[in-house]
Amino acid sequence: MFKKRIALFLVLFFVLGTLAGCGGDKAPSEQKNDLKVGMVTDAGTIDDKSFNQGTWEGVVKAAEDFNLDTRYLKPSGTTEADYLREIGNLYDAGYKFVVCPGFKFETAIYEAQNRYEDGKYVIIDGSPVDPDGNAVVKENTVAVYFAEEQSGFLAGLATALQLKEGELGYIGGMEIPPVQKYNWGFQQGVQYANENYGTNLTMKAENVIYQGSFDNVAAGQQLAAQMFDKDVRAIFVAAGSVGIGSINEAKARMGNGEEAWIIGVDVDQYAEGIYEGDKSAVLTSAMKYIDTATYDLIKAELEGNFPGGETLVFDAANNGVGIPRENPNLDDEVEAIVADVYTKLQSGELVVSNERGDLLR
Amino acid sequence: MWSIISSIFPYAIAFTIPLLITALGGLFSERSGVVNIGLEGLMVVGSFTGALVIAMLEKSLPGYAIWIGLLAAMVAGGLFALLHAFACINLNANQIISGTAINMIAGSLTVYLARNITGSGNIHIVNGLSRKDIPLLVDIPIIGKLFFAQTYASTWFVLLIVLASWFLLYRMVFGLRLRACGEHPHAADAAGINVSVVRYIAVIISGAYAALGGAVIIVTYSGEFNGSVAGLGFLALASLIFGQWKPLGILGSTLFFGFASTVANVSQVIPGLASIPGIILKTFPYIATLIALVFFSKSSQAPKALGEPYDKGKR
Repeated sequence: MFKKRIALFLVLFFVLGTLAGCGGDKAPSEQKNDLKVGMVTDAGTIDDKSFNQGTWEGVVKAAEDFNLDTRYLKPSGTTEADYLREIGNLYDAGYKFVVCPGFKFETAIYEAQNRYEDGKYVIIDGSPVDPDGNAVVKENTVAVYFAEEQSGFLAGLATALQLKEGELGYIGGMEIPPVQKYNWGFQQGVQYANENYGTNLTMKAENVIYQGSFDNVAAGQQLAAQMFDKDVRAIFVAAGSVGIGSINEAKARMGNGEEAWIIGVDVDQYAEGIYEGDKSAVLTSAMKYIDTATYDLIKAELEGNFPGGETLVFDAANNGVGIPRENPNLDDEVEAIVADVYTKLQSGELVVSNERGDLLR
Repeated sequence: MWSIISSIFPYAIAFTIPLLITALGGLFSERSGVVNIGLEGLMVVGSFTGALVIAMLEKSLPGYAIWIGLLAAMVAGGLFALLHAFACINLNANQIISGTAINMIAGSLTVYLARNITGSGNIHIVNGLSRKDIPLLVDIPIIGKLFFAQTYASTWFVLLIVLASWFLLYRMVFGLRLRACGEHPHAADAAGINVSVVRYIAVIISGAYAALGGAVIIVTYSGEFNGSVAGLGFLALASLIFGQWKPLGILGSTLFFGFASTVANVSQVIPGLASIPGIILKTFPYIATLIALVFFSKSSQAPKALGEPYDKGKR
């Protein structure tokens, strides 16, 4: 008898709870838009202050402006099957507009665009790729690329102009195209400054490396420590959470009065490098405006002109890449030169190669 | 070669310390007879609590915040380990499953709490501990550069705990009782020892130590809580077995793992090591462990009653 009562009570409790939950959800969403926007995260967390977070911020901003339902899912691993499962889960829950940030989604998006034909997909830093390795962007998908080489170029230029002489280093995550393009652009930026502005910065082959993951924080710290011990003055770190370790090492050294600069990546990482008051170990950041790109595509879908089937490139010409608007660690004349070079990139007067050529790694 | 070793050593020690203290926590639990594969989860709890407390206090109490954070992490780890103790000791649950549950809960719960308390799943601290050379000692030839250069205060704190733990386990009555509970709980019970109480204390200590390990990661090399400790808890468990459930043994085995992992991590930037393929360096510690386990398996020193719930009626 007693047990039955408990069971009854529990049932009532859950039913009421569910009803109450529904009520709470519905109240503020009177003219809710029909579009539900989902996102699947790549390696790392939604709060990585980098790639995933940038994308999600774009989604959230669109949701606020247009009153949308949003949800992100974190796959349990980084294989095609893991990604596809979460894309399928979002689809089944009605989230048919899905943003996937990351080169590693290429094969999963190829599957998804065929499997869920009324779904809409945005892949950032890659294109849907069939099993033979050919890019196939169907009508329900948009592939988004950024000109990382331009972003890296500007950061390299700014670093060289600010430091004037010494050694520089580079730590990449996985050796994949977006990360490589940052590296090659950075080296070209440093060379450009050496040739045109009389600076004298060098990069040794041993100090240009790819760690091999985006989440090994300890390795990020240890690699940065080794480089700084060998008198490297600044390291460009394009490696997700690996960079968190590197920034932490730079902070500790700056706090001790040593010189140890980090050049951030993807988003403005100045705040990550703060070690005292508002002084930061992050010199500047090579940014790509993932949030803006994501926002623009959601907006386009709502307005009925989703550029399905297209491959978009965000570069200096459409303000898709650059360094932060404010750089407290850069001198005014450095920022002026960078701004000047930026206009040259926009006009096409100056071209940054996205190939390795005879650069390091 | 020598310059390579001395340039890596301080960072290898920094990496070893969280492993060492966590493995020592595992030692307490397992020597009392309770398997604790929840070390990973307990480390996550520690890194979360440490990061949260430090992030909240570092503005108002600079200097003390780090130590308060480490202490808070130990308390939180001890409390969290109570779950494991309750399941294993009172409910006689399968200790492997309980430990797995701890790992799963910790990873999700901490990120959930972090997002609700701070608005972000990653908690960032502004200042960690700084590295310092120990005056005078650093000038000792050979070992000075290895052990006394660029050390964190937390390193010495943990080594002190290791020393105290050895004393507790091998020179005090409580230690003898604890080991007895792991070898032959019925005999211990017959001698008037309350097995449940001893095991409870041991599991709580293991939680506190593992959590301290997690918090040390935050204040030394990572600087940010992100919901995981990258498998270090399992590595600590492997060190515990490799070190044959002895304090000195785990000191050696964690140093081995710490040094080998650090070499693998930094080999790319060291010209002398760059020619060795990274995959060999990265897998070396694990292959060495497997080989060592093959050799030690005959003479394994595992506590006899490890993993068995204590059942008074069973003789």
